[in-house]
Amino acid sequence: MDKAKPVYLDYQATTPADPRVVEAMMPYFHDQFGNPHSRGHSFGWRAEEAVERAREQIAALIGAEAREIVFTSGATEANNLAIKGAARFYGQKKNHVITAVTEHKCVLESCAQLEREGFQVTYLPVQSNGLLDLEALKAAIKENTCLVSVMAVNNEIGVIQPVAEIGAVCRAAGVFFHTDAAQAAGKIPLDVAAMNIDLMSISGHKFYGPMGVGVLYVRRRPRVRLVPLFDGGGQERGFRSGTLPLPLCVGLGKAAALAQAEMAEEGERLTILRNRLLKGLRERIPEAALNGDPDTRIPGNINMSFAGIDGEALLAGLKNIAVSSGSACTSASIEPSYVLKALGLDDALARSSLRIGLGRFTTETEIDFAIGEIEKQVEALRQAPAAE
Amino acid sequence: MSDSPKMTFIEPNGTRREVKAPLGHSVLEIAFDNDIDIEGACEGSMACSTCHVIVDADWYEKLPPASEEENDMLDLALGLTGTSRLGCQIDITEELDGLVVTLPQDTHNWQSG
Repeated sequence: MDKAKPVYLDYQATTPADPRVVEAMMPYFHDQFGNPHSRGHSFGWRAEEAVERAREQIAALIGAEAREIVFTSGATEANNLAIKGAARFYGQKKNHVITAVTEHKCVLESCAQLEREGFQVTYLPVQSNGLLDLEALKAAIKENTCLVSVMAVNNEIGVIQPVAEIGAVCRAAGVFFHTDAAQAAGKIPLDVAAMNIDLMSISGHKFYGPMGVGVLYVRRRPRVRLVPLFDGGGQERGFRSGTLPLPLCVGLGKAAALAQAEMAEEGERLTILRNRLLKGLRERIPEAALNGDPDTRIPGNINMSFAGIDGEALLAGLKNIAVSSGSACTSASIEPSYVLKALGLDDALARSSLRIGLGRFTTETEIDFAIGEIEKQVEALRQAPAAE
Repeated sequence: MSDSPKMTFIEPNGTRREVKAPLGHSVLEIAFDNDIDIEGACEGSMACSTCHVIVDADWYEKLPPASEEENDMLDLALGLTGTSRLGCQIDITEELDGLVVTLPQDTHNWQSG
């Protein structure tokens, strides 16, 4: 353990790029540079070849065809493109979109923008374990529903939504299904065919790829059409104009290939570490409660409330580990997490929460260290007289 | 003997042009024969999207579904709508007597540039 640096336990915020990803990217910054859209010379052709190889690697991870992969700047752009793009294309006939209250901000804000444009949006509540109620979804689908957008894995509490079941409901109803898989891709098996997914967003830096690149999967059969977000040279099947960032695409492809090869083994290793962390915290800290379904969740996340503690104060005291609190800073104030509140936690309990993210480079020593640090801090705060 | 089928082109400025639509002819061929202003740059080989037409919603349902290749070209058409088709891929049948299509405001030739 590097004593100079805090232990990184915030893998839902971002992951370090895998050294093998960095290595794969390096040549494409200089020696093998080129514009993949240049048609007239070998620099362009070689760049295009590298991009297409990456496209195939990403497609293979999710059971798609390479030509269904559209590169974007990340999952935020992919989510915007999927939701606004589909709604705006089909909006004349079908102007209703369904999503869930625990979605990522960029999904909720895209929907809010659609509402300002005159669309109807239904925000489904979730159950106290964070999972969507399929019956509520079925009941919400109307004649004029064009799109359902539900995330695969929640970024705060790590629960896995019933994606295949949602896909089946949507396909039967003739409604397109988009899933934000930023926290799921490379972590859990995803298959766009078996799960009836029509649109899927992926982010590179959430699974050991580079920042600044992501993809939107866009189904071709049945064909999904989107109004692009911006205008330009018509790259990426017209969905996303702009020169592709060659090294980033290569890095994302490599990250996908690594994830596909190592997902099962990594999942097992992380499950052992996660269980160790959970057991340690529960045994050593009274009134420590896990948020979100205990079973239907990715191995690399826990989210816990420590009754009576202020999460921000806890975070401030935890100088030697890097974790997130259950709050989000807005410009004006520190608001308790809307995700935790949607599970039924009150403001105080939501504020007392920590999100701890484990990943590829997390060790057992780090987990044991983190348990000790959190125990010490919680104890200290609980003993301190409440500030006036 | 019944009259030859007819079809109507609505030009971008709103002008309706009803023309003869011989059985087996494509909408693109009919446009060419009647000096309707459709570019059809690749002359029906599905290498461009310049014969993009917007089919009247009621008629759209009566057309056989678009092929993969046609959908690929349509993806690149400007001003694509939910009832867009390529004129070169619609062949006139008895059932299509009376077909109405609108010409889009603009087209984009992916063969050039």
